[in-house]
Amino acid sequence: MSWSLSRKVSAALIAILASTMLLTALFGFYRFEDEVSSLVRSRYSFVAFTIKKRVEDSLNLGFALRQLRQVQDAIELEKTRDEQIVGIEIYDSRGEILFNSDRGRIGASVPDEWLQPLAEPTGQPFALMDEDSHAVGLPLVNSLGKVEGAVVLVYPAGYVERELGGALWRLAGQMAGIVVVFAVLTILAASVALSPVRRRLAAMEAALNTALGDTPAADGSAAAPEVNAEFDGNFGEFVAKAREALEHIKLSTEEVERLDRLA
Amino acid sequence: MRLDSSRSLLIRLLMLAVLVLVPPMGLASFMALDRFEQGMNPELDRKAAAVGRDLVVQVERAVAYGIPVEKLVGVDEFFAQVLSGNPEIRYLGITGTDGTILFLRGALGGQLADHYREQAGSLSDKDGATLQIGDFVDLALPVKGRSGLVGSVHVGFDQGYISSRLFSIFYDIAVVLGASLIVAFEILLFVVVFNVSGPMKLVAEVIGQGRKGDFSHMPGIRADDEVGHFARVFNASMRKVDSAYRGLMAYIDEVRTGHFDRGAAERAGDIADRVKFLFRFDASGAPGFLREKLSSDVRLPLFLFVFAEEISRSFLPLFAQSLPRRMTLLTPELMIALPIAVFMAGIALGSLWGGAVTERLGSRRVFQIGLVPAVLGCLMSGLSQSVIELSLWRGITGLGYALVTVACQGYISKATNDGNRATGLGSYVGAVLSAALCGTAIGGVMADRIGFAPSFFVSAGLVVVSGLLLGYLLEKVPTSPDLPPAAEGDPKGLSRIFLNWRFTVLVLFAAIPAKIALTGYFFFLVPLVLWGTEHTLPEIARIMVLYPLVMLVVSYYATRFADQWGWRVGQIAVGGILGGVGILLAALFDGTWPLMLGIVFLGAAHGMSASPQLALIPDICWVECQHYGRTQVLALLRTLERIGSVVGPLLAAVFWPLWGAEGAIVAIGSVVLGMAAVFAMLAGRYGDGPHLESEEGAQ
Repeated sequence: MSWSLSRKVSAALIAILASTMLLTALFGFYRFEDEVSSLVRSRYSFVAFTIKKRVEDSLNLGFALRQLRQVQDAIELEKTRDEQIVGIEIYDSRGEILFNSDRGRIGASVPDEWLQPLAEPTGQPFALMDEDSHAVGLPLVNSLGKVEGAVVLVYPAGYVERELGGALWRLAGQMAGIVVVFAVLTILAASVALSPVRRRLAAMEAALNTALGDTPAADGSAAAPEVNAEFDGNFGEFVAKAREALEHIKLSTEEVERLDRLA
Repeated sequence: MRLDSSRSLLIRLLMLAVLVLVPPMGLASFMALDRFEQGMNPELDRKAAAVGRDLVVQVERAVAYGIPVEKLVGVDEFFAQVLSGNPEIRYLGITGTDGTILFLRGALGGQLADHYREQAGSLSDKDGATLQIGDFVDLALPVKGRSGLVGSVHVGFDQGYISSRLFSIFYDIAVVLGASLIVAFEILLFVVVFNVSGPMKLVAEVIGQGRKGDFSHMPGIRADDEVGHFARVFNASMRKVDSAYRGLMAYIDEVRTGHFDRGAAERAGDIADRVKFLFRFDASGAPGFLREKLSSDVRLPLFLFVFAEEISRSFLPLFAQSLPRRMTLLTPELMIALPIAVFMAGIALGSLWGGAVTERLGSRRVFQIGLVPAVLGCLMSGLSQSVIELSLWRGITGLGYALVTVACQGYISKATNDGNRATGLGSYVGAVLSAALCGTAIGGVMADRIGFAPSFFVSAGLVVVSGLLLGYLLEKVPTSPDLPPAAEGDPKGLSRIFLNWRFTVLVLFAAIPAKIALTGYFFFLVPLVLWGTEHTLPEIARIMVLYPLVMLVVSYYATRFADQWGWRVGQIAVGGILGGVGILLAALFDGTWPLMLGIVFLGAAHGMSASPQLALIPDICWVECQHYGRTQVLALLRTLERIGSVVGPLLAAVFWPLWGAEGAIVAIGSVVLGMAAVFAMLAGRYGDGPHLESEEGAQ
């Protein structure tokens, strides 16, 4: 396939446009995902925080964590309020699950990594994640500052894709549409922008063909004036010089023929 | 429009690039922001509802104990605690049944009171209501006691909160768009020069010869576009003239050798002499192809290569900081500075070696050789597990960087003559600075998204692309070996150049401090200080982009000024002082702006003094340039200034534990300013024009 100038320029610009759009869309999407994730995490942290407060209030009244039966109802209520919540569980400092929105899990043990944040002296909120789910957790601290356990709220990973996937795909489709429209415009615009180059080259070709072709113009000066602007007028001089050389060689050839015929 | 000049066509195509890149990006950004906002709004509502529900539960519990809502104690403190933990919530409030504000924190009562009074009572039979009040979105939830509605809890957030959170996306989009426009410029420049103006320059040269009657050359153009088609028609015309000439000469030879009449043979010889006198044709039997190296041949590969290398500019010290530091002999700061210092040492070593290797093997081979350590260094930098490993691989990358850049300089130097060498080197500097601009900016955004190590892998990929591109391009240009090196004096004797006090002062008090400022302040301290003040990677990158940007602009005018006024020593002195003052300013005031001001000053300082430093050499080292060659003397200056590049980060790292980050900035600024002041004082004794006496004395 032959690549004309406008095709080369169009291809370069379309490639830049598509890659810029792709890069921007990716960066934009990930930034958006960050923002939404942080908002979701913040909401679930708040829910976990309200449960933590309730539990700690009871702990401060002197109840043992294991005894707080009303907490089971509270976490089940929170779970029913938001269908996105996979589960809420409260476990003690040894990792035994004391309360869980899924009652069948009560008595089981949490993964070891869920216990590590409890060993931290800061008692700060923590976030855990695996392939399928994310979790936000808060240590449960009694009035003496001892960590009694933790409350953890688990919600599904890929929240953004699931909740907004459809809309984002529509957006991606619209962006692809924009790229296609502007790609077509690029091809047209490049063709227009490069048309003076094409015209001038064609004029120069025509000048060469006319001046040096088999059927030159009668006066021999050919179309040089048309392309006078090219290369500061040198092209016209060149065409004239080439024509002159051809004429001169032709006359010289005729002269040699005459000399040859004298024999 | 002149076809043998790229300027007019390039401007036309650049306008086209802006037209086809900016509107779609603007349109897509607007649509994306709108969609993102729609996507985030429900989540914000849910958050407000969760907070509101909790407040309602607490207030209802108090009411259930018999405490009237208006008598609740500690509400303000509680609201303050909730607000500080949930920055997206703008205000919290409790109103009575008549809409009177009982408690409010985060907004002024006057802004809300009227609306609350109008809304009063409407909540009694609802679970809640969302109301738009001015710039706020207000979620009102009913508080119920035994007797029914006793008040409302209000949770408010700013309507523009989501936009403000998403606004940083605009910066990233602007960075990507800006970088894309620069890349578009580089690619279009390449397309125009490689396909139009470069080939047409050859045609112009042949035309220039032809109009004087010289038909010995044809443009050696291989292309299948319009220019290629024109070249084929042009060459066919040239061949036609040439074959007519060959036919005549063959006939004359036949007549001269075979004709019995010596007079006729002599006359035929006269005709041949006349034709040869009037016109010139190639003696080899056919017109030779004219091919030419252009300085712009290597611009795009060089741009891509430097772009790749600059990707890590904004985060290299941060990456080093994040790696385990296994060597306990050095302070943590020195360990962080080590990769930069070793990279610079690699460049110094490569520069020393690269010049001689380029002379021997040619630019193309050295570029290809340099790609190996560059790719390996980038890949392994990403895989490094300790600072020592990272330093080692950065050193190897530096070696590759030096070989590649020296090879490009060598290529440009050989593709140009005295008349257009400045333009060629200007093209080199332009490619390097615009690549620095793009690489630094994109690198920050990229590292923020994909991480430090994968960003190095992207760098390695780009280096490979630049190598492939160069391989393709240099196949198209003449493969004739590079010219043998100019006869130059024994470089071993070049050490005597230090007896020339002007050169020694220039190196010690201008070139080296400039590099100390660059690597110590800009490469090492700036990213660490910005990172320490809670700036994100894209923000750090956007701030660091100021340096190449300012330098690009200032150097353009400074070079013109230096050429016009010849005030080179003065420019170097002022530049040095400006750089030192800028760094000191950065430490004298708190915040990010002074740091940015320091970067701007440094960019201006280096833009002002970099070219005059090189331009001054032929004047102050006139004899040495004659004796050893200007290239050798310039290469020595470039190598010696790398001492400053290596020392800069190490010096800053020594200062940091002693006086803290600000102290380190002050100390580096003081060192730079002090050395620049010494240069400024001695600059007055430099005088004008070539200095022969002192050098003669040194011989």
